[in-house]
Amino acid sequence: MNLSTNLAGIPLKNPTILASGVMGVSTSSMKFVQENRAGAVTCKSIGHEERKGHHNPTVYSWGQGITNAVGLSNVGVDDGTVLLKEMIDALEIPVISSCFADTVDNLARVAEKLMASKPVAIELNLSCPNTENDFGLMFALDPEATTRAVSQVKKIAGNTKVFVKLTPDASNIVDVGKAAEAAGADALTATNTLSGMIIDIHTKRPILTNKFGGLSGPAIKPVSVRAVWNLYNAVKIPIIGTGGINTGEDAIEYIMAGATAVGIGSGVYYRGIDVFKKITDEMSAFMEKEGYKSIEEMRGIAHKS
Amino acid sequence: MTGTKHMKHDKPLALPIKKIITESERVKTFVFDYDFPGEPGQFVMCWIPGFDEKPFGIIKKDGFGFMISVAAVGESTKALHMMEVGDMLGFRGPYGSTFNLPDFGSIALVAGGYGMVPLSFLAQEARKKDIDVHLFIGARTKEELLFKSWMEEIGVIIHPSTDDGSEGFKGFNVQVFEDFVTKHPPSFGHPHVERALRLPEGGPIKDLPFEGSTPQGGGMLSKAYTVGPEIMEMKVAEICYANNIPFEVSLERYMKCGFGICGQCCVDPVGWRMCVEGPVIDGEKLKQISEFGKYHRTASGKVEKYPWNKDK
Ligand SMILES: Cc1cc2nc3c(=O)[nH]c(=O)nc-3n(C[C@H](O)[C@H](O)[C@H](O)COP(=O)(O)OP(=O)(O)OC[C@H]3O[C@@H](n4cnc5c(N)ncnc54)[C@H](O)[C@@H]3O)c2cc1C
Ligand SMILES: Cc1cc2nc3c(=O)[nH]c(=O)nc-3n(C[C@H](O)[C@H](O)[C@H](O)COP(=O)(O)O)c2cc1C
Ligand code: FES
Repeated sequence: MNLSTNLAGIPLKNPTILASGVMGVSTSSMKFVQENRAGAVTCKSIGHEERKGHHNPTVYSWGQGITNAVGLSNVGVDDGTVLLKEMIDALEIPVISSCFADTVDNLARVAEKLMASKPVAIELNLSCPNTENDFGLMFALDPEATTRAVSQVKKIAGNTKVFVKLTPDASNIVDVGKAAEAAGADALTATNTLSGMIIDIHTKRPILTNKFGGLSGPAIKPVSVRAVWNLYNAVKIPIIGTGGINTGEDAIEYIMAGATAVGIGSGVYYRGIDVFKKITDEMSAFMEKEGYKSIEEMRGIAHKS
Repeated sequence: MTGTKHMKHDKPLALPIKKIITESERVKTFVFDYDFPGEPGQFVMCWIPGFDEKPFGIIKKDGFGFMISVAAVGESTKALHMMEVGDMLGFRGPYGSTFNLPDFGSIALVAGGYGMVPLSFLAQEARKKDIDVHLFIGARTKEELLFKSWMEEIGVIIHPSTDDGSEGFKGFNVQVFEDFVTKHPPSFGHPHVERALRLPEGGPIKDLPFEGSTPQGGGMLSKAYTVGPEIMEMKVAEICYANNIPFEVSLERYMKCGFGICGQCCVDPVGWRMCVEGPVIDGEKLKQISEFGKYHRTASGKVEKYPWNKDK
């Protein structure tokens, strides 16, 4: 089955993309993901300086999903640029470069440095829910802040595509998505994790050392599908549907809501490192059974019926 | 396996400390009244509420139940040493790969420091299968030879060594292990060895200096297992390669999620996760891990060379 798709001018063999922050620490870990048939990979978000992240526990599963407050650990943009170049050289599939910063100016600085590695796309993580104490509120809660961030980066991006990662915490994610598009974004990633908290009643305290964290996995899928649905109606740029995709059926659900490609993070926990193989096989099986010939044919189809 | 008892815990399970045993100045053992699942080589993520969460090897000592043994090396492990009976800790796991025992024969365990944690549990399981266990345990001084009396009780043959010579050989356990290996050429009298060491075209295999060092096991020693400082593990690996001894090693890397998604514990160049594909790695697979004995990654993901590899 032909699962190829074109994401903002970037050809993908299949629509599965490793989501940022999962596995993307080193070139080796990315190659391991490539071997397991991901269509593209996103690196762990890179910031201005080296960060160790929050104290553990930073990631665990609570039954209905995963919660994390890794706290944007990364090697910093100087080493990060070298690492990114190494990843791009070593991998055959596209490497999307995720980045973050505390201010719009710093974001543009980080993005500019990363540009030296000539990534096909930069994903602006404007939506990490776990670093409020360090960095203040997420840009992606606010259309204006999003506009400023995206237009600054667009000025220096050249041929590199600019993707914008949105948060389901925004009071109106569609307004933020429209603002990003108007500022020149080439694609939207919907969504990042949903903010949440889990308390252990025996020790009487939140489990994450950061107290709050981002929820991912099956628990958030309906929230992110809704976001993709609404964005699809409001913007023309492609959408990477992300949140709780574990199976080929989940991926197709997002595509029918309007997604061009699908991000997979927590699925690596639920199905194993070969989640990409499993999902693409399951997509093929579904399409064969239902008589679909291409991804394109299914895109947004749920809006028509 | 059925029932909640054997379920994997991916959300920290809060358990009160039932008993604390002071093993030495640096090591304390914490015992819990709960049948936590797990096999030798696997680990738990231990949550110190409000403070941190760290990986520790699982021990399930017969008659004691689930326990962890912690060497105080830094902030979190020192915080653990301050805890008292009744205090709560949270556990996720069991995580990672397990050691694999041969069906019969004898094994060698080469342990440094808290490497005795997974290896003591392995020794117990091996003794249950009637496998002979040779333990090459090294420590700074006599008092730090972890679990020595437990190992004696279950009939482990101990070859101790200490830095100060207060017990056993004065020097490194690796040296004792190497001596042992090279001084025990194959004996062709043993039926298992006879079978394993015959060439298909007849006649014995000549260049196997290590008794019974075949995948089939049998003979004096079938397999070696090593856990401890990476420099020690590296030396043990060299000895095993040089003498055709199948072996397994536990390779520790910085852990965050413990269940295979954060990518923090991946090794070069294969990308295997030491919390899923590891920490127990077979000697043959270890050949593919180029960073073994050279460097690891810190919490940020930055590569940090080991001191002995600094100027290379
Ligand atoms: C699979 C595995 C099994 C282990 N089993 C045991 C055991 O049974 N008994 C025991 O005493 N120790 C064990 N350790 C080591 C133990 O996790 C560290 O000693 C502990 O995390 C140190 O924390 P700290 O705050 O006291 O010291 P720190 O000063 O924070 O760290 C000291 C060193 O410990 C290591 N370390 C720190 N945090 C982590 C982490 N999150 N993941 C991995 N390594 C880390 C690093 O190499 C660091 O340099 C094991 C480690 C791993 C990976
Ligand atoms: C452990 C973990 C770390 C993450 N780190 C990042 C990150 O650094 N940058 C980012 O943009 N998103 C990060 N995310 C969010 C994911 O990229 C993804 O948007 C989210 O988890 C929803 O998808 P999923 O349900 O498939 O995991 C992280 C998620 C997890 C579980
Ligand atoms: S600790 Fe191994 S992948 Fe997270």
